Amino acid sequence: MSLVQILFYVMSFIALGSALFVAATKNLVRSIFMFFVTLFALAGLYVLALADFVAITQIVIYVGGILVLILFAFMLSGKETLNIIAQQRSKFISINKVAAFLLAGLFLLILLNTFFKVDADHLAWITGSVRFNNVITPTAAMTENIGVNLMTKYLLPFEAISILLMVALIGAAHLSRKGEKQ
Amino acid sequence: MNFYFTYFFIAVGLFGFSALFALFGVYAERKVSAFIQDRLGPTETGKFGTLQTFADILKMLQKELIIPAAADKLLFIMAPAIIFIAVYLGFAALPWGPGLVPTKLNLGLYYIFAIISIETLGILMAGWGSNNKYSILGAMRSAAQIISYEIPAGFALVSVVMIAQTLNLQDIAAQQGILSPEKVKFAGFWDVSSTGGIFAWNIFRAPHLLIAFIIYFIASLAESNRAPFDIPEAESELVAGFHTEYTGLRFALVFLAEYSMMFLVSMVGVILFLGAWNTPLPNIGSVQLANWTTGAAWGVLWIAVKTLTLVGIQMWIRWTLPRFRVDQLMALCWKVLTPLAFACMLISGIWRIGLM
Repeated sequence: MSLVQILFYVMSFIALGSALFVAATKNLVRSIFMFFVTLFALAGLYVLALADFVAITQIVIYVGGILVLILFAFMLSGKETLNIIAQQRSKFISINKVAAFLLAGLFLLILLNTFFKVDADHLAWITGSVRFNNVITPTAAMTENIGVNLMTKYLLPFEAISILLMVALIGAAHLSRKGEKQ
Repeated sequence: MNFYFTYFFIAVGLFGFSALFALFGVYAERKVSAFIQDRLGPTETGKFGTLQTFADILKMLQKELIIPAAADKLLFIMAPAIIFIAVYLGFAALPWGPGLVPTKLNLGLYYIFAIISIETLGILMAGWGSNNKYSILGAMRSAAQIISYEIPAGFALVSVVMIAQTLNLQDIAAQQGILSPEKVKFAGFWDVSSTGGIFAWNIFRAPHLLIAFIIYFIASLAESNRAPFDIPEAESELVAGFHTEYTGLRFALVFLAEYSMMFLVSMVGVILFLGAWNTPLPNIGSVQLANWTTGAAWGVLWIAVKTLTLVGIQMWIRWTLPRFRVDQLMALCWKVLTPLAFACMLISGIWRIGLM
């Protein structure tokens, strides 16, 4: 096994293990900190896939932004509320969880289906790109590529997302505003 | 195998450097504060009190590591390590001289920006893990402050990147002197590619970058939790903020992180705005000052001098200005610095298209 393969397995193991801990633990704050480990391991996997820009963006947005905001919400809610949640007992299999199990099972089925049907080493579009030399080398600068593509080929989805975020921002500002004096 | 040996050597070297710098920084801070407040500062330990911080660290090493009974032990123990490692990892991409850079990342600046944001998580961890109301208030203030000030800092940096057209810190550094692969223009009209010196620095490349530098500098003070933005550890209100419960070596680690952070943000500022490892002396006719003072060793000297100057200004500001109130702090960030940083970014775009 090469070093890259070893790193891949180590990071996948960390990602899966920490994700399991996140889902299973009753201590919600610890599960958030564990989620940080999951996200970091995922960033490592992105680096191995030569998507270094995506990896760093993942850390900026998820670790620096979203995780911190989730923690904020937790810290504002106080320890007693969290303790009540932690003490709730629930069985692993119950009627409330049918939908979740169904969803998870179906996703697993789709994943397994793709895994067995697709011949990952000889995909037509990959061999085609290799033949036309349309590939990214490990030393290539990804940022320009992403920027040019966002502003040309994917301009419409990009703008649509920006409008969606704008709507969310205006909504949040409206909700947090003080009520008018009566 | 040599290859890996170099890696370890550099990593240990950077750690040693940040520890030494923290020792020196604490001593300098005491002397500077003493000078500003018309006192003497440490005088007893060693000549001029130079051994004071060594004595302090010896004391800290001997102290008992106390874990509060109600603390979340795991989070409490891990927090100082995460705070320090986040800052320490940032050092990996900083260039020290022509050809002297630990890792030549083509996303260097973005990487540093990302890795620093992990520090917030460590601070929140410390605040929550301590199970102390002062700690948690300090941690929340700190996190609110850091994520708010990341925005003007980020946009000030983006306005430089738009002019420089690269995220590689070594390339950005090389553009600001006589080693530049492309034409450098002072304020957009005077070609200084062969003159070099102070005229080729990024703050003079376009007038708005001077404003961007000031925005970045203010925001970097806030990001390293320094006065006037030190409400996370406001002694008069919160005891010591998020590190109230820490003792001994863990406390030392938090302090190490703070001083490393000061050095790191100053060095990023120097690399992006103040010419990185380039000399401030220009070539004047046949007196080739810039050519004589450019090289690997000179580079390390220049970048260290510039960075230490910025660190000195940080200390000067800390002991001169009073602390901001929370609402003033947020108003400054969102109503003044963020719009100004956006304006700088906009001007950068127009500048790049129109004038370069």
